[in-house]
Amino acid sequence: MTLRQSMAGLHTWGGLLPSWLLFVIIFAGTLACFDKELERWMRPALHTPAATAMTATDVGNWVQANVQAPLHAYWLHGPTEREPYWRLGWEEDESGTRGRVAFDLRTGRPMPETVGGEFFFTLHYNLQAGTAGMYIVGLAGMFMLVALVSGIIVHRRIFKDFFTLRPQANGQRAWLDAHNLFGVIGLPFHLILAYTGVAVFVASYMPAGAMVAYGGDPLAFYEEVQGGYHRNELNQPPGQFAPLETLLTDARERWDGAEIGWIIVEHPSDASAVVSVRRFDPSRIGSPQDALSYDAFTGELLHQQQAPAGYRAYIWLVGLHMAQFGGHIVRLLYGLLGLAGCAMLIAGTGVWLRKREGRQIRGIEIVRALNGAVFFGMPIASLALLWANRLLPDTLAERGAAEAWCFSLAWLAVAVFAYLSRRQPLGLSRRLSALLAILALGLPLLNGLTTPEGHLLASLARGDLMLAGIDAVLLLVGSLCAWYSLRSPQTKKPAREDTRPAARQQELAP
Amino acid sequence: MTILASSRLANLAGRISAALFGGYALAYGFTAFFSVYLPLPRPDRVVTASLLCFAVWVAAVIYAFAARSALAAWLLIAVLATLLLLGAYLPVEWRTRP
Repeated sequence: MTLRQSMAGLHTWGGLLPSWLLFVIIFAGTLACFDKELERWMRPALHTPAATAMTATDVGNWVQANVQAPLHAYWLHGPTEREPYWRLGWEEDESGTRGRVAFDLRTGRPMPETVGGEFFFTLHYNLQAGTAGMYIVGLAGMFMLVALVSGIIVHRRIFKDFFTLRPQANGQRAWLDAHNLFGVIGLPFHLILAYTGVAVFVASYMPAGAMVAYGGDPLAFYEEVQGGYHRNELNQPPGQFAPLETLLTDARERWDGAEIGWIIVEHPSDASAVVSVRRFDPSRIGSPQDALSYDAFTGELLHQQQAPAGYRAYIWLVGLHMAQFGGHIVRLLYGLLGLAGCAMLIAGTGVWLRKREGRQIRGIEIVRALNGAVFFGMPIASLALLWANRLLPDTLAERGAAEAWCFSLAWLAVAVFAYLSRRQPLGLSRRLSALLAILALGLPLLNGLTTPEGHLLASLARGDLMLAGIDAVLLLVGSLCAWYSLRSPQTKKPAREDTRPAARQQELAP
Repeated sequence: MTILASSRLANLAGRISAALFGGYALAYGFTAFFSVYLPLPRPDRVVTASLLCFAVWVAAVIYAFAARSALAAWLLIAVLATLLLLGAYLPVEWRTRP
């Protein structure tokens, strides 16, 4: 077997098997480029700008007054351009329970709970499945790297084929052209994002360095490599806290007026409490990990973080992945290239299917069912989440969890439907497109009915392009899906369509 | 026919395991080795070697499928990984220098 033949086998199977998982990761990551914009969309109180009198001390007082259990730490972040509200998170000492709250700047009270845009970010890096999910995503990232490299080796005429698209050619050829086009357009981006993506959790995925050079003590490694600061607990009651504002003023002076990012208060109910202030610099690819640590009571500066060069290189690579630099234009490009990645995966499974059509292979139906369940399921579930965000009452307890349930159940319903109609791929994709169109086109309308300041007319009139952009994208996607589901109806209608009672019951759209 | 099919299957399983486990072992050995021998301060040695390890794993996967046989793939990957690990763990005092 030649190199190209063996790589073709590797690319086909090593690409097909993780492609649905990769689609979920890449699609969620594409949405997560705009997590902060989605978060604002999902919190109607943030639709119009508000001046605030709320301070770090107010937020600190809120957590001391409202969380009874002793805290291991709490952390807060002031309003920024993209996130115009105070954010607070905490971890309880014994149970390790975590909480998070976002404050309405007008009232100083917590806003109605929502999973927010962060839902997609978490889905992207651990599939909402904790540590196990993080390792699964890492392995998927390795598969992606291998598929990209083997794809380059397989691809004989990478330059010439880039300018070749034959949509009218036979099925397999057209899908292959599309797969090549989206793969090559995004190639440098996909290589870098896959590599920096697995690099984010390098310390978990590859602990060899800490094991050998730090004598098997990963904590010593983290401490030295981050140059951070830690003070052990004294088990004595805390004193009188210095006002947080004094510390923030001091930090700003030391950094020549730089912006303040996260403020972290460690073991606040102990005499050893430390306040760490992080710098926030969205002009850098990796926001510098400068932190100042203060004694929480005297306000004395205890430590100034100086990360070694290696760690700064790591932060730079992570920053390249996170796309928090360069403003909206960078996020927009990341979003478009992320979509190119999704299209590459869809076209890739299309090539696999067309190559095997006509042969009686059991795998074909499985691949078709998975295609419907994932390529349609994930976007439909994401829209269901946004619908739930607008429809669930503000006062609902565990509102965020209810939103996540709507996401999961919508996906489950699509998956069941896709499985039942796996023998009618054309009808399946047409129906699910129609559903997608209804959900996407309906959402801006629902938004208009439920939020007086958040709908397209209001946000456009304010010049609030980021908020308007979400509704505009929904309208665009909805129109495309509607066009797809309505165009040249019934040209290739499979003979057996709708003969099965189960398929009729599951009918979701005309 | 069945012997041929089962030997093909064994060959494939050998390549897949060489790619997954052998590849990870090689990347692990690479990271450990260069965490010790790079002429840099300790945190930088570890971070540099760790960040490069995924490229090594990818190369090992490609080799596992490009090699003449599963055995050949396993042989080179295992020997390299063993040498790197030995090199990393033998200098007991020196490997934890700051």
